[in-house]
Amino acid sequence: MSSGGRKRRAPPTSHPSPATQAKTQALSQEDDFVDEDVFLNETLITEDEESLILRDIEERQALANRLSKWTRPALSSDYVSQSCSVLFQQLEIDYVIGESHKELMPNSSGPAAIIRIFGVTKEGHSVCCNVHGFEPYFYISCPPGMGPDDISHFHQTLEGRMREANRNSNVGKFVRRIELVQRRSIMYYQQSSSHPFLKIVVALPTMVASCRGILDRGIQLNGLGMKSFMTYESNVLFALRFMIDCNIVGARSLSNCQLEFDCLHSELISHAPEGEYSKMAPFRILSFDIECAGRKGHFPEPTHDPVIQIANLVTLQGEDQPFIRNVMTLNSCSPIVGVDVMSFDTEREVLLAWRDFIHEVDPDIIIGYNICKFDLPYLIERAQALKIAEFPILGRIRNSRVRVKDTTFSSRQYGTRESKEVAVEGRVQFDLLQVMQRDYKLSSYSLNSVSAHFLSEQKEDVHHSIISDLQNGNAETRRRLAVYCLKDAYLPQRLLDKLMFIYNYVEMARVTGVPISFLLARGQSIKAKQKNLVLPNVKQAGSEQGTYEGATVLEARAGFYEKPIATLDFASLYPSIMMAYNLCYCTLVTPEDVRKLNLPPESVNKTPSGETFVKSNLQKGILPEILEELLAARKRAKADLKEAKDPLEKAVLDGRQLALKISANSVYGFTGATIGQLPCLEISSSVTSYGRQMIEHTKKLVEDKFTTLNGYEHTAEVIYGDTDSVMVQFGVSTVEEAMNLGREAAEYISGTFTKPIKLEFEKVYFPYLLISKKRYAGLFWTKPDNFDKMDTKGIETVRRDNCLLVKNLVNDCLHKILIDRDIPGAVQYVKNAISDLLMNRMDLSLLVITKGLTKTGDDYEVKAAHVELAERMRKRDAATAPNVGDRVPYVIIKAAKGAKAYERSEDPIYVLENNIPIDPQYYLENQISKPILRIFEPILKNASKELLHGSHTRSISISTPSNSGIMKFAKKQLTCIGCKALLSKGNHTLCSHCKGREAELYCKTVTHVSELEMLFGRLWTQCQECQGSLHQDVLCTSRDCPIFYRRKKAQKDMAEAKLQLDRWNF
Amino acid sequence: MGMDSEKNSLCRLQCSYASLDEAFEIGKETYRGQQYSQIYFARLHLMRTLLYSLVSQWKPQTPVCTVLGLEQGKECVIVGTLYKHMKLKPCILDEYSKERSAVPLVRPHNFMHDDDYLVLEDESGRVKLGGDLISPSVFVTGIVVALHGKETGAGDFSVLEVLEAGLPPQIEFPLKSREDKYIVLVSGLNVGSSDSNPLQLQLFIDHITGHLGDEKEQSIASQIVHVVIAGNSIGIPRGLVNGQNLASKDLSRIAEPIKELDILLNQIAAGLPLDIMPGPNDPANFSLPQQPLHRCLFPGSAAYNTFRSCTNPHSFEIDNIRFLGTSGQNVDDLEKYSDAKDKLEFMERTLRWRHLAPTAPNTLGCYPYTDSDPFFIESCPHVYFVGNQDKYESRVIKGSEGQFVRLISVPKFSESGVAVVVNLRDLECHALSFGTQFSS
Repeated sequence: MSSGGRKRRAPPTSHPSPATQAKTQALSQEDDFVDEDVFLNETLITEDEESLILRDIEERQALANRLSKWTRPALSSDYVSQSCSVLFQQLEIDYVIGESHKELMPNSSGPAAIIRIFGVTKEGHSVCCNVHGFEPYFYISCPPGMGPDDISHFHQTLEGRMREANRNSNVGKFVRRIELVQRRSIMYYQQSSSHPFLKIVVALPTMVASCRGILDRGIQLNGLGMKSFMTYESNVLFALRFMIDCNIVGARSLSNCQLEFDCLHSELISHAPEGEYSKMAPFRILSFDIECAGRKGHFPEPTHDPVIQIANLVTLQGEDQPFIRNVMTLNSCSPIVGVDVMSFDTEREVLLAWRDFIHEVDPDIIIGYNICKFDLPYLIERAQALKIAEFPILGRIRNSRVRVKDTTFSSRQYGTRESKEVAVEGRVQFDLLQVMQRDYKLSSYSLNSVSAHFLSEQKEDVHHSIISDLQNGNAETRRRLAVYCLKDAYLPQRLLDKLMFIYNYVEMARVTGVPISFLLARGQSIKAKQKNLVLPNVKQAGSEQGTYEGATVLEARAGFYEKPIATLDFASLYPSIMMAYNLCYCTLVTPEDVRKLNLPPESVNKTPSGETFVKSNLQKGILPEILEELLAARKRAKADLKEAKDPLEKAVLDGRQLALKISANSVYGFTGATIGQLPCLEISSSVTSYGRQMIEHTKKLVEDKFTTLNGYEHTAEVIYGDTDSVMVQFGVSTVEEAMNLGREAAEYISGTFTKPIKLEFEKVYFPYLLISKKRYAGLFWTKPDNFDKMDTKGIETVRRDNCLLVKNLVNDCLHKILIDRDIPGAVQYVKNAISDLLMNRMDLSLLVITKGLTKTGDDYEVKAAHVELAERMRKRDAATAPNVGDRVPYVIIKAAKGAKAYERSEDPIYVLENNIPIDPQYYLENQISKPILRIFEPILKNASKELLHGSHTRSISISTPSNSGIMKFAKKQLTCIGCKALLSKGNHTLCSHCKGREAELYCKTVTHVSELEMLFGRLWTQCQECQGSLHQDVLCTSRDCPIFYRRKKAQKDMAEAKLQLDRWNF
Repeated sequence: MGMDSEKNSLCRLQCSYASLDEAFEIGKETYRGQQYSQIYFARLHLMRTLLYSLVSQWKPQTPVCTVLGLEQGKECVIVGTLYKHMKLKPCILDEYSKERSAVPLVRPHNFMHDDDYLVLEDESGRVKLGGDLISPSVFVTGIVVALHGKETGAGDFSVLEVLEAGLPPQIEFPLKSREDKYIVLVSGLNVGSSDSNPLQLQLFIDHITGHLGDEKEQSIASQIVHVVIAGNSIGIPRGLVNGQNLASKDLSRIAEPIKELDILLNQIAAGLPLDIMPGPNDPANFSLPQQPLHRCLFPGSAAYNTFRSCTNPHSFEIDNIRFLGTSGQNVDDLEKYSDAKDKLEFMERTLRWRHLAPTAPNTLGCYPYTDSDPFFIESCPHVYFVGNQDKYESRVIKGSEGQFVRLISVPKFSESGVAVVVNLRDLECHALSFGTQFSS
């Protein structure tokens, strides 16, 4: 550990402010992410403003006292006396531009980049460590024959060009120095081990990009003329550069530095996350939610609508209950047990109280649902609208304002998303919505449906038009709102705990070596700094490079297999291929070199896709080496996981092995990513071509060996093969036999592959329904006596644009077919459901289709059902109509012949209230038929005829709408309950003909009533349960809730049925 | 046998009868969009007034608070509705859950779990209850109690003592010297179902109507003054009625057992007064209070003025002795969500809680009343019976103010062949067992 005794520095306000500096405009826009220089003094507020804030804080002493009990633990004397070095877990790294530190860096002056590392010690103290002396740099390859004089000349020329490009910058020296170093490019196999490179060190991080632009375009050199240079490592973000060079990985423990401290980068020690250092520091996690009072018919806008409540929960990492629960409300609010309710008279006070709260609590991680896009920007913009200049000081750096900027994040994996980024210095933001959207495929990402999915809990949903009413009521109604707000703040925390996000992401950061915030905002990338290798900054050729052939899929022999199907899986196929064949940037031999170098054939591999790579005896590849490390580490983590007893330790290790697995697989991924850091299609296409070869090879071996000719009882058959697995029907009838043969086959075939490629036997599917490639379902067995679960792939169970009916129908059918082994039962079930649909007996909530309204009607090019409906609803009642951002639920109703589907969408509530008939044919043809036929076609002959056109489709019942024109002219008359004949005067219930069947007809009516009553009771008490109160009416209007429409319908049906029943009492 | 043989004819004893079912009749009430919060509200108000009057003697020194008024560490008394948070409680949302578990759910007989906890709620808010004194296994959602305790730091209310409303006041038991008069309680006839034994049932009817046995037995039969059938008289095969349209053939099959029952009831009603209550399997509505079985189901017996179709729960007075009973739903539901040594204990608890069906509406279907709670027990019955139980049990409990209550669990007749006879003179009771097995 390095020596302590560093002097504690005064708050960074002491910086003399250099004259205004324009931000260097990043020249290269093609990069996804570029460094952005933020000048410390830009975000700081001026002296007089500060004194104003201080005064303001004094005035609010009472509040401050209230908040003070939540401050972090006081420093022990060791820390205060600065006699010990500090060990802390790093969470976030960024950099600012400030004046170089005079004591630490006596030789330099002018603005310099200061790396800030934020973290937490194991005692729970927060730490900000300012690291000085780390300079941005990149490489270019040194033109041959360049001597020291040429370099200094080159330096001057470059400096001049830089000055031209950044005219209004007052940096004294742009290019600090240029050194001659020996490095080697990672691209292509080279026989000599290193070449001369020039390391260009610049003053500020953004200048890397600016300088690269100059060099790319070409520079006039003495004796060489105009020459452009390929730059190396010029697209590495500065913070990452620092982490790489100092060997720091994300979320790792570091020693040195105290609370706020300055040091030189050379004095940091990074500890590998093992043993003691793998434990998590007690982070403070703040989960919060705000409520705004929107105007009727409008989504809240920060320029108009006040923030009325902010609920906060703070939890220490590793504990299961929050230790702070409070809510800040505008206007009075009745107390809530176990919650600190703070009421204020003005919005300004609410906002400032929240700011003070953040200061006192000093959270390390801020979580919430949609906080990055909504809550945080809303607070900041609202403060702007109210002209509260002192509000946006939320970061760890004293008096530094947070910055808001629009960002887009795009990646092949996750698509392009627009979002706002609120940079809160030193606090990691972890927006559960973003994480959900990225890590899980769900039909809806509303907090309600996400918590229903993961926590099996429905959340009460209060429509934003009601929020204003509650706010304008009294202290009691505002309390109601506060309880709701608190629940919204609590759910993200519970999701975080339940899904172990902190463990998984911290481990991912440790493994990939990037800060957590990078993982969230930027996807994964992996760093490689090895052995003097440098990465060229390859100009992206965009789509010209084309794509390569993907993974192979063996033709699926669709069918319903009632014999066990053994599955042979390649363990980490792509990483193993890269290791087995030494595939890497640095082992790739260019076609010219193949001719020139005359490599002996025994030391090269020619891949099935035609590329040449040298074997490891000539040059060991970097990627295989990284992969070996990752896989070995995963093996270790898995072994440790088995040993581990402590649940927290287990969580850490499990997160780690998962992260290692993902990282190993992503190594292949970034060679193929055309917009990645260093794509190399030669590698990725070679990998997949090997993959295809192995699958084919396996199929051949299995079918050659396991035959009756070779003494086996049955001849094996490969029915399907996917990217890294092969499904084999060995023909045996028990799971146990299939398992034995599967193991035998795996072992036999593994022997024929180059190490470490390995075929493993994992599971048996029995029975197995193979529909087509990438679509199958089966029972999953890993032990011979009991199946583990039902496994489905590619079958309509989670598609967003399907109604619930499809999902339920498919699930129940699969259940009946696979688990109950009752095919006739499944057929009957489908028929019943179709009949119910045609007979108008289907529960409406099963038919609701939901789509998000992302923009207004005019912006859509094609007319869409949900957009048209939103428009129509706005005409009916603007206050309750869906707004942009809302999800619009609709059903398809019967309409005039030839009406377009988008004209036939209707609000389910409106349908219920007016008895509007739905269109069963639409549901039958556009929703149900395809998925159902897919399942049944391998099983039944004439599936379509049998299921969709049988006798059960003959009778149809359609309800009469109560709002249609013709009903205005209709006269209502009582009909006989038994036979629907019109009743003559004097009879109220039955016609004289049906009188004799009185008892049985009464039974029928009363049975109907009794069923509805049961449903009514169960539905409404469930809603009471969700809202968490017995004595208050249910307000919830969550249309995502599966029982919302049923509840409404039950209420309406009940009233009607009761009237029918009452007719008997005349 | 015939009546003509009895010259010195035995005369059936008479009694006075007054129905107290009015509170349980829904009448013209309709579903207008009202919710269940109102019945809880009404219950809390009724019970709170009562409990507040008791608290002044129970804890004269301790202040009474609302849930909102709790202050950390301060001892106080709070009154509110209990809510039991139950992990295993079946939930209608589960019907929609995406992943059906492959292993079929074993339907537990009882939904309790060690993690269950109680919450006390009033109009203002909820507080979680802690401490060992209040056991989640005894209490259920919907009971109103007074609690003495204090709020701990974590937002829990640590309970030091529990006050239940206790047995309600009772009208005086008529003391004048009396003769033996008997009331017969029977339930679960299940006419038409596979386990009903027509011969056994006929024996029962012949016995109480005095068509069986010698003169001595007939004289005992003549002392039976009233019969109460406590639910589940008809056993309609469940598979028949499932919401699908029925063929007329099936419809008439439903009507068969009803006709059969009508004939049987006809025989009873001809001889002595009869009250019939609807039960969970009868052709009546589902929610409590269940409304009387429609007279059109019994064209024959309904012609007698001795035939009364009553509500469930059913309350009446015979010779100024008060009866209260249900067809069993209230106790069956308690058994699913709480624990006791026998059915009688559940019954006793409902009396002490002064609420006939605390789990309604939470887990027991119930009409959404707006301004009253008909299940509140205002006056203590002398006889409290529950039908359709597994076996006959009976016991007397006494209250602090001299209340004296006979608790009876009436078994299902179709399974046990047992009816229960209560003597109005002293409320002694015994089982009347009918068997058709011949010992060899």
